[in-house]
Amino acid sequence: MSSIIVCPSCDLAHRVSMAPASEGTRCARCRAPLQRPENGNIDTAIALAICALVLFFLSNAYPLVEIQASGTMRATTLVGAALGLYAQGHTGLAALVFITTVAGPFLQIGCLLYLLLPLRGAREAPFQNTVFRLLAQVRPWTFIEVFMLGVLVALVRLSAYARVIPGVALWSCVLLMFTLAALTSRTTPGQFWRWVDRNRE
Amino acid sequence: MSAAPTGRSLGLLVCLQCRATVRALHVAYPRCPRCYAHLHQRKPHSLGLTAALLVCAAILYIPANLLPVMYTRTIFDDEQDTIISGVLVLLHSGSWPIAVLVFIASIVVPLLKILSLSVVLFSAWRRSPRYRAQRSELFRLVEFIGRWSMLDVYAISLLVALVQIRSLAFVSVGWGALAFAAVVVLTTFAARTFDERLLWETPP
Repeated sequence: MSSIIVCPSCDLAHRVSMAPASEGTRCARCRAPLQRPENGNIDTAIALAICALVLFFLSNAYPLVEIQASGTMRATTLVGAALGLYAQGHTGLAALVFITTVAGPFLQIGCLLYLLLPLRGAREAPFQNTVFRLLAQVRPWTFIEVFMLGVLVALVRLSAYARVIPGVALWSCVLLMFTLAALTSRTTPGQFWRWVDRNRE
Repeated sequence: MSAAPTGRSLGLLVCLQCRATVRALHVAYPRCPRCYAHLHQRKPHSLGLTAALLVCAAILYIPANLLPVMYTRTIFDDEQDTIISGVLVLLHSGSWPIAVLVFIASIVVPLLKILSLSVVLFSAWRRSPRYRAQRSELFRLVEFIGRWSMLDVYAISLLVALVQIRSLAFVSVGWGALAFAAVVVLTTFAARTFDERLLWETPP
């Protein structure tokens, strides 16, 4: 059976075969990705999500960096970056930093586990569609990789004045960044709904 | 070539949330049968919303670059840094790769983002049939690189959290950083409210 799919980027209609594409297809007119290939099974995605959750807790439980200058020492955690801004009265900026570095990754991992765990047991989570829409809203606001580069810039600027000691959370943040990237590429909306459709059949 | 078959001409809608293609029903507020998201033939008020957000972002880009983003108070002196002076400090301290990185992420990327969104918006508004594939490509690139301009905001937030040794050194945030973050947020929303399909409305 062949069916018609419409390109979300330019509205061109394509006739496609129902066989799942082994390699991704692109729109014939605007070259936007049309169908993404089957990318791993649901167990891999759940394993990555649990791994990301553990790394997320490590990243928040331990100090990110520590500086020593003229006998005094100071450390900060991941959430400390947002709290510092809040303490200086920049609530909006603090909220943005908090959402993009703490709340965003946590919601993304949490939503995915909430959706995928029941799906693995051939059930659907309550409010699946609402949670999926929340996930789609949250996803573009996870800037953890940009934050890591920001840490690097800050440390370079500080290294002239103080001794900089990287903390446990710095390394777990780097790992979290890669895990989240892998998780995101394995749980695209197309892939998620393929799992749901297969479950409903 | 006559008009290519499109979702609109065939009476099909595509769900932007779960990418399902569904038959358009003549009801007031159609929803996706699979994920129950609202369906629209085109994103509502796309051109107007994108234009408004883009104008705000372009205006805020000026204070973002002129106002200080960071104040440093030490026992020796008081300093204030704008984005550009921060880049120069990095350059003079010998770490030029980092300086280049910050310059690209903070100055070049937001400017490129505002300019390319304007180009794409203008050609969608004019219904220009030329270079559409390239403009589509440009739009997707912009969506992808936009987030990197948060770099300096994060660096400052970390310096604020770390350098709080009251008697010796003290770092505080300037309003430039807020303007800067606002540019990032506004351009991100501008890219999200823009409907790419408006670039392809007229047949070539």
